Amino acid sequence: MITFKDVSYSYTPGAYALQNISLIIGDGELVAVLGENGAGKTTLVKHINGLLKPQSGSVIVGDTDTKKSTVANLARRVGLVFQNPDHQLFAETVEKELSFAMVNFGMPPEEVTKRVNWALEEFELAKYKEKPPFLLSGGERKRLALASVLSYDPQTIILDEPTTGQDDRQKTRMANLFKQLNSDGKTIIVVTHDMEFVANFIPRVILISKGKVLAEGPTEEILTQKEYLERASLLPPQLVDLSWKLSLSKPSISFEKVTSEALRMLEESRR
Amino acid sequence: MSKMLSGFEFRRGTTIFHKMDPRAKLVYIVLFTALSVIFLNIFVLIAIFFSTIPIVLIARINSKWWQSIWGSKFFIAMIFLFNFVIFVFSPNLNLMSALLTATSMSIRFLALISIFSVFFLTTSPEDLTQSMVQLKVPYDYALTFNMAMRFVPTLSRETQIIMDAQKSRGLEMEKGNLIQRIRNYIPVLIPLIISSFRRAELVADAMESRAFGASKKRVSMFILTLGWIDAAFIIISALGFIGILSLRLFLGIA
Ligand SMILES: Nc1ncnc2c1ncn2[C@@H]1O[C@H](COP(=O)(O)OP(=O)(O)OP(=O)(O)O)[C@@H](O)[C@H]1O
Ligand SMILES: [Mg+2]
Repeated sequence: MITFKDVSYSYTPGAYALQNISLIIGDGELVAVLGENGAGKTTLVKHINGLLKPQSGSVIVGDTDTKKSTVANLARRVGLVFQNPDHQLFAETVEKELSFAMVNFGMPPEEVTKRVNWALEEFELAKYKEKPPFLLSGGERKRLALASVLSYDPQTIILDEPTTGQDDRQKTRMANLFKQLNSDGKTIIVVTHDMEFVANFIPRVILISKGKVLAEGPTEEILTQKEYLERASLLPPQLVDLSWKLSLSKPSISFEKVTSEALRMLEESRR
Repeated sequence: MSKMLSGFEFRRGTTIFHKMDPRAKLVYIVLFTALSVIFLNIFVLIAIFFSTIPIVLIARINSKWWQSIWGSKFFIAMIFLFNFVIFVFSPNLNLMSALLTATSMSIRFLALISIFSVFFLTTSPEDLTQSMVQLKVPYDYALTFNMAMRFVPTLSRETQIIMDAQKSRGLEMEKGNLIQRIRNYIPVLIPLIISSFRRAELVADAMESRAFGASKKRVSMFILTLGWIDAAFIIISALGFIGILSLRLFLGIA
C-alpha cells in the first residue's frame, strides 16, 4: 500500500508543486493519474520511489517511510519509467540496456538472462537485441525504456506517459500487458493525458490540478463530470462527449451502456 | 554538477552591471582572463579573484555566484592534486614549491570561474549575440555561441532528470571506490551527450524550415550603443590591467 499523508512540496519557495496531498493506493490497484500540464503529476510519482522527499507530511510505501530509505532501496520495489526515454538509454546494446537495473540490484545471471529474453519478446524488441538503443525509432525507444524497468519485476510500476508516440497496436498490447501484470498482483500507476486509454483500460483515476487532488474514484464516475474535466484541462473521452451531446440521463464510458441508453431514448421519442 | 552550471545561467536583473553593454564586459573578461593566465604569483591571482567581488556585490548575484564557486570545489581539488602530483614527481623535487604551484593553479582556476560566472550571470544571450554581430563576428558563429549558452540551463535540468532516471533503475552514484564512482557517471553522461546531439539536430532542422540562411543580409531589431558607464568600466578595467601587468614589467613579479 502507498500512503500520502498531507504531503507538500515546492521547487521554488512560495510556489507549491504539491499542496496537502493525501491519498491511498492499495496493493494490486491499476490507477491513472490525470491532470493538466504542470499539475504536479511527475512530482507526485517521484515521491513514491524517494527521488523527492516530502517537505511536509509523509509518504509510506509498504511499511517504509520514504524519508528513512534510499532511492536504490525503494527502486527495487517501485519501478519508475520516465517520460522521455532519451533520459535513460545509454548502453551499447538493447540487451545490455535491459539488464542494467538487474545488474545494479545484483540479481543472479541466469535470472537476468531469463528476464531479458522475456522483455525482448514481450516488447517486440528481439530483432534489435544487438543494436544500440539510439538507433531505434522514437516509439521503440519508449518501449525499450519501459521494458528496461519492467524487466526487473518491481512490485509497483509507475509509468509517466507510456502511450505517447505509440501506434494503436502497441497501445493495445501495452494495455493488455498492464492488465496481465495487474492480475498477477502488481500495483500499476499510469500518468497520462490519453483519455481514451484511461476510459478503456483503467478502473480508477486520481485527478490532480494545480498541485492538489481535485477528485478521485472509479473512472466512470470521475470522467463523466464536466466540471472536473474542465478544471483539469482534460478532454472528455469520446463516449462521454457523445453522451453529453445526446443529453443522456446517465453519461458513460462504456460503449454498451451509451448505445443501449441512446436506443432506449430513441424508442421513447418514437412513441 | 547541475547546481554549478546554474552559477553561469543568465538571470534578468536591473543593476547597472546587467544593463551594461556586453562589449564593455567583454573587454573586462578578456583583459582579466589574460592576466590570470600570464601570472602565477599567488598574491596577484588572489587579487584578480577579489577584483570580481565588487562586481558580484553591485550586480547582487551573491548566491548564484557562490553556487558556481562552491560547485567547482571538486574540480579545484582535482587541479590541486594533479599539479601537486606532477611537481612531486619532477626530477628536482621541492615540496614547498610543488605545494605553492598547486595552490596557484587552483586559485587561477577559481579566478577564471569567478570572472566567467560574473559575465554569464549578468549578460543575456541575445545581447551578447548582438554585440558579437556588431563586433563583426560572422552571424553564424555568434548564433552558435548564443545557442550553446542558452543550452546551459537546459543542460543542468536535464542532468538532474537523467540522474533521477538512472537512480530509479538502481544506480548508486556514491557507491564504490574512486574508479567505480567515475564509472558511475557513464550512464548519466551518455544520455546527456546523445540527447544534446539529438536536440542540436532538431534545432537545426527547425531553423532551416524557417528559412535560416535564406538571405545573405540580416537586419537587427536592436542596436547596442556604448554609454558613459560602459566607457568608464572599460577605462577602469584597462587601468587595472595596466596596473597589474606593470608588476611584471617593472617589478619582475611573474
Ligand atoms: N526541477 C524543477 N525545478 C523547478 N520547478 C519545477 C521542476 N520540475 C517541475 N517544476 C514545476 O512544478 C510544477 C509541477 O511540475 P510537474 O512536472 O510535476 O507537472 P506534470 O503534471 O508532470 O506536467 P506534464 O503534464 O507537463 O508532465 C510545474 O509548475 C513545474 O514548472
Ligand atoms: Mg510530467
